[in-house]
Amino acid sequence: MSPLRRFLRTPEAIAGAIILVALFAMALTAPLFFPGDPQAIAGPALLPPFQDWSLPLGTDRLGRDVLAALLHGARTSLAVGLAAAAAALAVGAIVGTLAGFAGGLVDEVLMRITDAFQTVPSFLLALAFVSVVGPSLGVVVAAIALGAWTGPARVARAEVLSIRERDFVAGARVIGMHPLEIALREVLPNALPPLLALSSVIVAAAILTEAALSFLGLGDPNRVTWGGMIAEGRAVLRTAPFLSVIPGVALVLTVLGVYLAGEGVVETAAVRRSLS
Amino acid sequence: MSEVTISRRTVLAGSALLLASTALPTIGWAQTPKKGGRLVVAADSEPRNLNPAIVASNGVFFISSKIVEPLAEASFDGKDGLGPRLATSWEGAADGLSVTFKLREGVKWHDGKPFTSADVAFSALQIWKPLQNLGRTVFKDLEAVDTPDELTAVFKFARPTPFQLIRNALPVLTSVVPKHVYETGKIEENPANNAPIGTGPFKFAEHKPGEYYRLEKNGDYWGKDQPYLDEIIYQVLPDRTSAASALEAEEIQLAAFSAVPLADLDRISKVPGLKVITKGYEALTYQLVVEINHRRKELADLKVRQAIAHAIDRDFVVKTVFLGYAATATGPVPKNDPQFYTADVPTYAFDVAKANALLDEAGYSRGDDGKRFSLKLLPAPYFNETKQFGDYLRQALAAIGIDAQLVNNDSAAHIKAVYTDHAFDLAVGPPVFRGDPAISTTILVQSGIPDGVPFSNQGGYKNDELDALIAKASETLDPAARTELYREFQKKVAADLPLINVAEWSFISVVRDTVANVANNPRWAVSNWADTWLEA
Repeated sequence: MSPLRRFLRTPEAIAGAIILVALFAMALTAPLFFPGDPQAIAGPALLPPFQDWSLPLGTDRLGRDVLAALLHGARTSLAVGLAAAAAALAVGAIVGTLAGFAGGLVDEVLMRITDAFQTVPSFLLALAFVSVVGPSLGVVVAAIALGAWTGPARVARAEVLSIRERDFVAGARVIGMHPLEIALREVLPNALPPLLALSSVIVAAAILTEAALSFLGLGDPNRVTWGGMIAEGRAVLRTAPFLSVIPGVALVLTVLGVYLAGEGVVETAAVRRSLS
Repeated sequence: MSEVTISRRTVLAGSALLLASTALPTIGWAQTPKKGGRLVVAADSEPRNLNPAIVASNGVFFISSKIVEPLAEASFDGKDGLGPRLATSWEGAADGLSVTFKLREGVKWHDGKPFTSADVAFSALQIWKPLQNLGRTVFKDLEAVDTPDELTAVFKFARPTPFQLIRNALPVLTSVVPKHVYETGKIEENPANNAPIGTGPFKFAEHKPGEYYRLEKNGDYWGKDQPYLDEIIYQVLPDRTSAASALEAEEIQLAAFSAVPLADLDRISKVPGLKVITKGYEALTYQLVVEINHRRKELADLKVRQAIAHAIDRDFVVKTVFLGYAATATGPVPKNDPQFYTADVPTYAFDVAKANALLDEAGYSRGDDGKRFSLKLLPAPYFNETKQFGDYLRQALAAIGIDAQLVNNDSAAHIKAVYTDHAFDLAVGPPVFRGDPAISTTILVQSGIPDGVPFSNQGGYKNDELDALIAKASETLDPAARTELYREFQKKVAADLPLINVAEWSFISVVRDTVANVANNPRWAVSNWADTWLEA
């Protein structure tokens, strides 16, 4: 059975995949359906959803199109989620591999640094980082990655500790490869699979953190973000609840989709491993 | 079981009827104030320093104006718009070198000591002039305060100072604090700054950080039978959306300073038992202003500033951002000011084509991406409306090919970025008009102000003509001539656009209809509430 078929056998994986595909479609087609600035004023203010079919999801306090904002917001959420997760995994994998492979003092130092980061709640860390450096997309990605790399680092180290004792590593040493080359070219790729299993959790957490930062006004103000939409809608929560509910639902579905699809991937991988 | 099912709807209808029936007898009822009761009010901030003599700002006054009183308070029907408080009369000398105050008899401080002219002299010379944010300008030439007897204070000025200005400054700048409490030690570090002692109708009782302030009745108050309330509680509700729910749940009886979001007013005005009141803030007009950094070469060009002024649809701002609870602005003095306002100034109609033409003329043609140049735009974070106007302004500028990048900061960072570091191109600010242009308006235009003075001209704007005009007005004694100079000032500011005035707004109170004597003076929310009482 091909991995894809195996993946599609679990219903939650299918649900997750559908949501994710829809989300990517939204994100990719946003500039086609809504070229120009999604924050442009498009109609009367506070138009409820399903009243005017040119503005199907209504408008916000300034008369900006909620649907356009939702689609463009998907871009930001996904971009930040994926970039932050990629950055966290890359940093975590490298730190973990170096620590695990080198051992000794390097291991001690790197792992104590990891501990230090882990003791600070990652959201607080992101909050502090963004408020000091100033909000922009790159800074938000960095801020989220800052709190998320420790998990992958620990997992990678644990993997590497077992891999480095294997024969092929000894073989590489014997043929005189540089230890750094062994670590990064031989050991690291073999330590990756469990890290990838972590990735869906990290992406989901990153999307939520980004939304929370935007909600607190620490997102990039020049981009539409779902968190920012919820924050703006909050002031009129009683009169126009749809302004907070629509991006809120989008956020829930996205996180759910990422998580379910991630679970599916892990299941598939686990089945394949046990088969082999 | 079916006979006992009571639907939520019938309960609500029933209770509404009950409410209506209790409300009926009060209609047309004689206004005999009832004594007693506790008024619970929403507070959205907890000022660090509660001494209004040092920090003359609305956030401080909201609480401390009940404890510490000024010489005179704003009034709808009093002469020159003033009503007496600690002073019973005030007279300016013809040469502008002195002002004589007769003080109220039989006034006692909350600690029992008598209030005398020495307290006024001390407050004026030791606090208002050297330490107060606004007094520094208005009282800069105050040389001495003579106290011929215990109830007379004569302010002596080194240079002629317009009596009109002093008069207009009385409600905001002249909170009197007790000399015997402040004369030892450093004034800024005096514990009474956090637990004020005054002569007002209420005494400071306690402050639980994050929870509430409690003020209790001053039994020795000079006002006959006043105050009516036993207690005022300021319930700290930093979250703006919670004030409306707290009002509906009858946890609080009053939410002033637009603590209920404008968008919620329509809904809440229909809730039985709650009233939406727009009066009582006439002397607290906030101005929505685009502050301009004239160090940017594009913005130093008058044509570009005119183009920006033409690009802003003021009616849209009033209608959408302020939901109608504001007025469009024509210049640096608000329309509702009875003394100085003139409509005879250059105006900038909303005209995108003209704005584009002006920018073309100025030599900033559109690039291939349709953009002429980029700007950094910093909306002040203090109000929802300033932030929303920032979002609007970005769109309005995009329509004329100016790419504005929003930068969001918290309050402290915003003040530092704009007024100290000058790290902005455009900023959205809410300066306050305080009844006289010399108090807090000319400072937005005048040059030569040191870096770091908040709410002043930090945009590097320098216009010798305007500077001369401001200097001349500050020493013109005749009120008519002085008013004329400030009309000239408005014209010149509107013509040269050191900043762009967009709208003027005030606040809204939402109050339970059991609270009586609400909004009966133009600074009601920050006045002493001695005559406020509760019907139930």
